[in-house]
Amino acid sequence: MSWLEIWVHTPGAAALGSTLAHSLWEGALVAIVLAGALGVLRSSRARYAAGCLAMLAMLCGFCLTFQLVLADQPVQGGARALAISLAPVEQGSGTIIANVPARFHPVEYLPWLAPFWIAGVMFFQVRCVAGWMAARRLRRRGVCAATAYWQDCLQRLAAQVRVSPPVTLLESCLAEVPVVIGYVRPVILLPVGLLTGLPADQIEAILLHELAHIRRHDYLVNLLQTVVEGLVFYHPAVWWISRVIRAERENCCDDLVVATQGDALAYAAALTALEDNRGAVRQAVLAATGGSLVTRVRRLLVPPEGPRAALTPVLSAAILTIAVAAAMAAWQTSAPPRPPAPPAPPAPPAAMAPLDAPAPPAPPAVPAISAVAQDKQVSSQSETVARPMTGEERKQKEEKLRKELENPFRKWLNEDVAYIITDAERATLKRLQTNEEREHFVEQFWLRRDPTPDTVENEFKEEHYRRIAYSNEHFAAAIPGWKTDRGRIYITYGPPDEKETHPSPVPSEQWRYHLIAGIGANIVVEFTDPNRTGEYRMTADPAMLRAPDEMPVPSAGTPTAGATVKAKGQGVSISVPLTACGDHRVEVYTRVVIKAMTYSGPVPPPPPVQVFKASIQCPAPYISSEIPLPNGSYTFEIVVKDMVTGKLAGHTIEFEVK
Amino acid sequence: MAEMLPRPTDAELEILTVLWSRGPATVRQVHDCVCARKPTQYTTVLKMLQIMAEKGLVRRDEKQRAHIYQVARPREWTQRQLAGDLLQRAFDGSARSLLVGALSAQKASKEELSELHRLLEEYEKGAR
Repeated sequence: MSWLEIWVHTPGAAALGSTLAHSLWEGALVAIVLAGALGVLRSSRARYAAGCLAMLAMLCGFCLTFQLVLADQPVQGGARALAISLAPVEQGSGTIIANVPARFHPVEYLPWLAPFWIAGVMFFQVRCVAGWMAARRLRRRGVCAATAYWQDCLQRLAAQVRVSPPVTLLESCLAEVPVVIGYVRPVILLPVGLLTGLPADQIEAILLHELAHIRRHDYLVNLLQTVVEGLVFYHPAVWWISRVIRAERENCCDDLVVATQGDALAYAAALTALEDNRGAVRQAVLAATGGSLVTRVRRLLVPPEGPRAALTPVLSAAILTIAVAAAMAAWQTSAPPRPPAPPAPPAPPAAMAPLDAPAPPAPPAVPAISAVAQDKQVSSQSETVARPMTGEERKQKEEKLRKELENPFRKWLNEDVAYIITDAERATLKRLQTNEEREHFVEQFWLRRDPTPDTVENEFKEEHYRRIAYSNEHFAAAIPGWKTDRGRIYITYGPPDEKETHPSPVPSEQWRYHLIAGIGANIVVEFTDPNRTGEYRMTADPAMLRAPDEMPVPSAGTPTAGATVKAKGQGVSISVPLTACGDHRVEVYTRVVIKAMTYSGPVPPPPPVQVFKASIQCPAPYISSEIPLPNGSYTFEIVVKDMVTGKLAGHTIEFEVK
Repeated sequence: MAEMLPRPTDAELEILTVLWSRGPATVRQVHDCVCARKPTQYTTVLKMLQIMAEKGLVRRDEKQRAHIYQVARPREWTQRQLAGDLLQRAFDGSARSLLVGALSAQKASKEELSELHRLLEEYEKGAR
């Protein structure tokens, strides 16, 4: 018995053998900790993170154990191998030789695990490389570029979910399901015919799902995961952990799609249609395991029930593994305490003690803590996305969804015009009974705001939807752009007149509005992003800046703001009467803005034509100013502030210079 | 059993994919689509289509001035043919776990599909 036997008796092989034995209980421990964590964690992102940590813990546990065992391996191991091969010659190690055949002990045979393990690793890694090559081939073979319409659609969606690398959309005659291939230059493959076979919104949902994979670097993580799988292939726990990661990965992407599109039902229908659409060409269909798609769709549509039932088989498997490992450990410790029996007595304590204490990736207990920490971080990043699962929220969401289906106007009310509709209008709309009435209402709503009601275009409406689109494009974080604080301010008050951006220490932005009608002049709105999630939060609402308003000061009148505008030469003369200011000092801020409709360029709008600010001691009849202006349509905005009471009044006048 | 058609080469497969994706098309249209991914001569595409027509992979409709090509076999047929390649199958099998996508690699069974539809219907009813 040749080189194999010699090799098996090297310290490396011996260390490997006992590492394999140790990793049995280590893996079981990791699985139990993960099972416990999954029992507690609800958000799919946290569960996914826990799974990945567990995987990492298994890998690190294996490497650390090997290192410790190897370092602990006495030189005798080598000496013994030498002794066996040179047995007849070596006199000094005679006692050792005498002991080896005399005692039959399982520990002696642990090193024999090593060659089998290496063979297994080679098999799995070759398979992994082959798979990787096949995947690369899949993106080049039997594909054609999707039509420009869908490429554009993909770019739009990519911007919406903020995927930075350029993504290519290909149709493939070999792919049976939509897949993402590649990390640096990712490609989305769709089965050929899918683009014409499914409704557009369902395709968009599926594209969003694939984009979510790209954004989350899933292709890379999955590749690494497969490599680890191949290293610890002998342990059932690693396969279970891998399954958990894969399932939660899909759940994470599902959540992202629903958060972006807002329609769980349509998305569930898209997934089902996709499965229906899948060709029946499948060779060697494996037995379906538990129907993960059914679980996913159920999760999308139905609130989760109690604790997961899936844990029981895993737990029993883990317990079984532990029992086996414990038995082996018992064998090992009962081995003769003599130095010649190489891996036995020092190994288990040496392996266990340092593993427990310092190393962060070591299996026991630590993953649970870091998983929870991760959970916190993740949830603070995006509460809305990560936690659609908690009972109360979920119910609310579904309630909303249901109403949305009933009433298409609800979306209009709650999303399109949520920030600009007045309370009275909202109440009116809610009273309406039929869809015709509501349609009429919407029409009137925009008409009332149209600066030029006699033309077909409604500049106000166009500007409003432009602001929404701008917000979605620029402010989107874990939630859609229009829902963010910046989006709300942008949609309500338009682009700021000045903007300052500070990337550090805490990313923040300061938006300065020279004047907001009805609120005041020189309003500064500050947004910060302490968690660096991309979702800036407002530090104070401009509407709150009106605080002095609420403190009644006796004997103070309310200033009124108004103005008369008269054409004068090539320009206008504007006079602002000052009434109800008593003998207070007032400040008057005005500006003239070119109306949005008279320029057609994208952002930013032209700066104010003229701004003036005056401080006047009342009583005074009025202040007036002459402003030369080129021909065009303008808006004159004015705010009068009583400096004693702090009360404000604002007014807007539209005029044209011909 | 269907008569034996030669297994399409990679270049032929690409043109077949274009035809499956866009439906019957002229050489010009096929060429435009192929070019979107990699620059190719018009004559190359023309030659390829002519060869494929001879092989019986595509059919040529000569009624109009611009000849219109369409696939002779459904996609499933060709896929089955490709899947007959044992090496290919082993390859694809190992690739499966490496791909991430909206669906798992395993096809849902009939029961699961009907369960899916039942879920959707139930939810839609509940939503009303």
